[in-house]
Amino acid sequence: MAYTTFNRNINDQLKEPMFFGNAVNVSRYDQQKYPIFEKLIEKQLSFFWRPEEIDVSKDRIDFQQLPDHEKHIFLSNLKYQTLLDSVQGRSPNVALLPIVSIPELETWIETWAFSETIHSRSYTHIVRNITAEPHKVFDDIMLNEKILERAQDVTRYYDALIDGVNLYQRCGEGNHNINGNIESITLRELKKRLYLCMMSVNVLEAIRFYVSFACSFAFAERELMEGNAKIIRLIARDEALHLTGTQHILNIMASGDDDPEMAEIARECEEDAYAIFMLAAEQEKDWAAYLFKDGSMIGLNKDILCQYVEYITNSRMQAVGLKPRFATTQNPIPWINTWLVSDNVQVAPQESEISSYLVGQIDNEVDSDEFGDFDL
Amino acid sequence: MSKVIVNAQMPLSYDSGQHNLLVFLEQHKQSVSFQCREGFCGACRCKLISGEVRYLQEPLAFVRKGEFLPCCSVPIGDISIEIPK
Ligand code: FES
Repeated sequence: MAYTTFNRNINDQLKEPMFFGNAVNVSRYDQQKYPIFEKLIEKQLSFFWRPEEIDVSKDRIDFQQLPDHEKHIFLSNLKYQTLLDSVQGRSPNVALLPIVSIPELETWIETWAFSETIHSRSYTHIVRNITAEPHKVFDDIMLNEKILERAQDVTRYYDALIDGVNLYQRCGEGNHNINGNIESITLRELKKRLYLCMMSVNVLEAIRFYVSFACSFAFAERELMEGNAKIIRLIARDEALHLTGTQHILNIMASGDDDPEMAEIARECEEDAYAIFMLAAEQEKDWAAYLFKDGSMIGLNKDILCQYVEYITNSRMQAVGLKPRFATTQNPIPWINTWLVSDNVQVAPQESEISSYLVGQIDNEVDSDEFGDFDL
Repeated sequence: MSKVIVNAQMPLSYDSGQHNLLVFLEQHKQSVSFQCREGFCGACRCKLISGEVRYLQEPLAFVRKGEFLPCCSVPIGDISIEIPK
């Protein structure tokens, strides 16, 4: 029950459920219950990139020339992205590692969260470049009410899970007197919190992030802030993988093959899951109103972004087995696909060079002329 | 050559050795959503009503029974598919 960093129980890891079984002891991958997680790890590692590799220097000039309402859109969007990745860089580790029971999933969670820390560092790289006063941008995240409102819902399910797990691992199931308050916890309740937490993570990765990507790419469509867009493309590629990981977890849970109780919970929580999606969609629409409060930009305005919220919410709901709830069936910003496509497959029309995959590459072609001045 | 029926419309003909099904569908002016075009994001997910497809690379995205990813597959024989709206 209490967490241990090296569980001495000799167990068959192949028989453990994804969560709430024995804590993992040996990190071994010679046998795997769900090989998909190791494949995700390999893919994620193959995506490795560093923000410093991307030249964002032209963005400074672009940014200075943006009208004020577009500066507001750009910076607010960046602050929101910073908030989302601040949460995602730590929460999967803090919330999920104490309860995970199979090694390949444990390592996927760590790999996933690590890649989010790269995203966080890249926002600093962007902000440092466009303003001489980066602290103003970051300080505002903790003061801006619109952002804090979103933080509330993004973190709520993680916090409820972490809180419940702490109580459970310390005291076990039942009613406990904690500093004079009676708090109760059951394993079933914890499983429910976990399921809802994964749904909310899916919403964060699959909807909230994409709404913010749309804004980043809308600038680049006009050949503005292209360094930023290059970074966001790399982030979007990572996020596509993360949300695939989360969808796998959710679907394995719902199938019941892993833990039959989890399938019951998934059925029981269906309405809650709908509510999480619908609330997030409403919040993202509110956010769109805030972004465009002082004016629209070419190619994107509040109405178009709201339609995109509906479109992407529908498609993400279907991916986890829910029915779409909005009437919108067409992507109102089809140009986003060109930006979202993986770098190595097709390069967006505005881009002249492929930004990733240059790490550690050396030009092996040396012409003999280059040794002309050599004396031995 | 195999027949590809999309949303119960007139069959399109697919020559073997052609591109993956996503490219094929785009060439025939069918709009399919996509992101990665490499089988890991799941954006292109479609329904496979009948027939079989072969994956050119193993998909990482979650695929339910009766679904397939056109971005990394080709048809084996005639197939009938549905593009989600
Ligand atoms: S486009 Fe990503 S899985 Fe097909």
